[in-house]
Amino acid sequence: MLTLFVGAVVVWSLQLVAPGDPARRVLGALGFANPSDDQIAATRHELGVDMPAPQRFLQWLLDAMTGGFGTSWRTGRPVTNELADRLPATLRLAAVALLFALVLAIPLALIAARWRGRAPDLGARAVMFLGAATPSFVVGTVVLELIVLRGGMGRVLADGSWGGAVLPAIPLALGAGAGWARVLRTSLVEVSDASFIQVSQARGATALRRLLVHAVPSALPALLAAIGLTVGSLLAGAAVVETVFTWPGIGRYLIEAIGARDVPVVQATVLLGVLGYVVVSTIVDGVTIAITGKAKR
Amino acid sequence: MNRALGIGLTALLGLLAFVVPLLTPEPNATDYGAKLAAPSWAHLFGTDQAGRDVLARIAAGTWVSLGTALLVAAITFAVGLVVGLLAAVAGGAVDAVISRVIDVTLAVPQLVLALAIVGVLGPGHANLVLAMSVAGWAHLARFARAFAARQTERPFVLASRMAGVGRWRSAARHVMPATATGVLSVATLHIGEIVLSLAGLSFLGLGVSPPTAEWGQMVAEARGYVDRAPWLVIAPAVVLLISVAAASLLGDAVQDKGKR
Repeated sequence: MLTLFVGAVVVWSLQLVAPGDPARRVLGALGFANPSDDQIAATRHELGVDMPAPQRFLQWLLDAMTGGFGTSWRTGRPVTNELADRLPATLRLAAVALLFALVLAIPLALIAARWRGRAPDLGARAVMFLGAATPSFVVGTVVLELIVLRGGMGRVLADGSWGGAVLPAIPLALGAGAGWARVLRTSLVEVSDASFIQVSQARGATALRRLLVHAVPSALPALLAAIGLTVGSLLAGAAVVETVFTWPGIGRYLIEAIGARDVPVVQATVLLGVLGYVVVSTIVDGVTIAITGKAKR
Repeated sequence: MNRALGIGLTALLGLLAFVVPLLTPEPNATDYGAKLAAPSWAHLFGTDQAGRDVLARIAAGTWVSLGTALLVAAITFAVGLVVGLLAAVAGGAVDAVISRVIDVTLAVPQLVLALAIVGVLGPGHANLVLAMSVAGWAHLARFARAFAARQTERPFVLASRMAGVGRWRSAARHVMPATATGVLSVATLHIGEIVLSLAGLSFLGLGVSPPTAEWGQMVAEARGYVDRAPWLVIAPAVVLLISVAAASLLGDAVQDKGKR
């Protein structure tokens, strides 16, 4: 809750340092190239920017808590409606990407940890490095141009549906999954040196049993923590991938808004990102406590 | 072994930045007679849709992409080190205020904060540097503060204090060097991340404006030509990969040195 409030303060305060007069920009977007002073004054009043800053902030915060984020300077529509139109597409993309990333990360880490220091480990670690170091926009561009446009495999379904989310999820999942695999592998390797695993080995448990029954449960909190942290960068990642695939989600909307300097939209989108981050962190903490039976700290 | 590889890759990037521009054509010189030409001896990495030499643009992009990343890393390193040290050494109210500011900044995910700042200030190279720096200093400051606080309690620092050395002088002479090395290793490890973030934001058109060569932007411009001229995407992707690898290997090397 505090994080969210602090995020709101930071996000909102940014507009105080924004250059240019918002009234002129709004009028410019409506087609008034050279507005008169009266028009500017009227628009300033309409936007509320003639009020003192603390008062404006409180007003904005109250509106935001009841789900209102003002109107877009670019389109004149309520920001809340525009976000609500786009949120499902981004959530679908995120869900598919999450699934793909787990499908990639878990087997990769298990293979690497099972044959630690040997060829499969080196191979898996090479994949992890390449996945984490290749920018999602490169993967996205290549997937789009080669598989979809040239290969004709899979149509570009930039409609925000589940089926259409499969291809854009690949670049998102590759980066995230590779990072998670790295964390899980490190954690598995650390755990496998613990005494309870050595006892299990002495009692004749097979390597596979030691890994799956003993190491994995102990290594899970680290993976969960990594997942929680990744969600913070997901909005930025989604912005890239959604732009490449012209996916109708909030990431692309944010980039469009930045291009047009549509401050209310940027504020609302970023706040939504922080909200998502807080929600996921809380869920991750909850699951971690449930698994380990105690709080992380 | 890893350290040698890291130094080798860094040397390769240095070659790209300092030597290659002397041997290649102007990065922005167009030649529409030779557009989308495949790699050859005349154009080692081929040419792009305007007939510009890709190798020359990659080399010029080193200054923008890597240069900007190093600038951001240097700013966040300096700010993080000074602020962290100040908090640890001054203690009391100063520490409380600084720690609270750090907490506030870390509450918002880094890239989201950077996007928010660029979003409000508007796209552009200077704004991007500012946004990445504002978003990135806090975790280094937190690390520096913790590191310096541990350092202050070590016997040789306590001994110098008891021998009558002043608090600030002791901090500068005995606490700062080790803290700087520790923060440097963390900052170096983050360069790869900064390079990727900057390239991603530039890809989205939030960084330098065309025709300036920048790796992320080169990929953005190459969209639509990938099937006919794959080198347009492969070249920037490979240099980005090399940069990230070099940063992570060097970061590990600095960290090992700090431990010894």
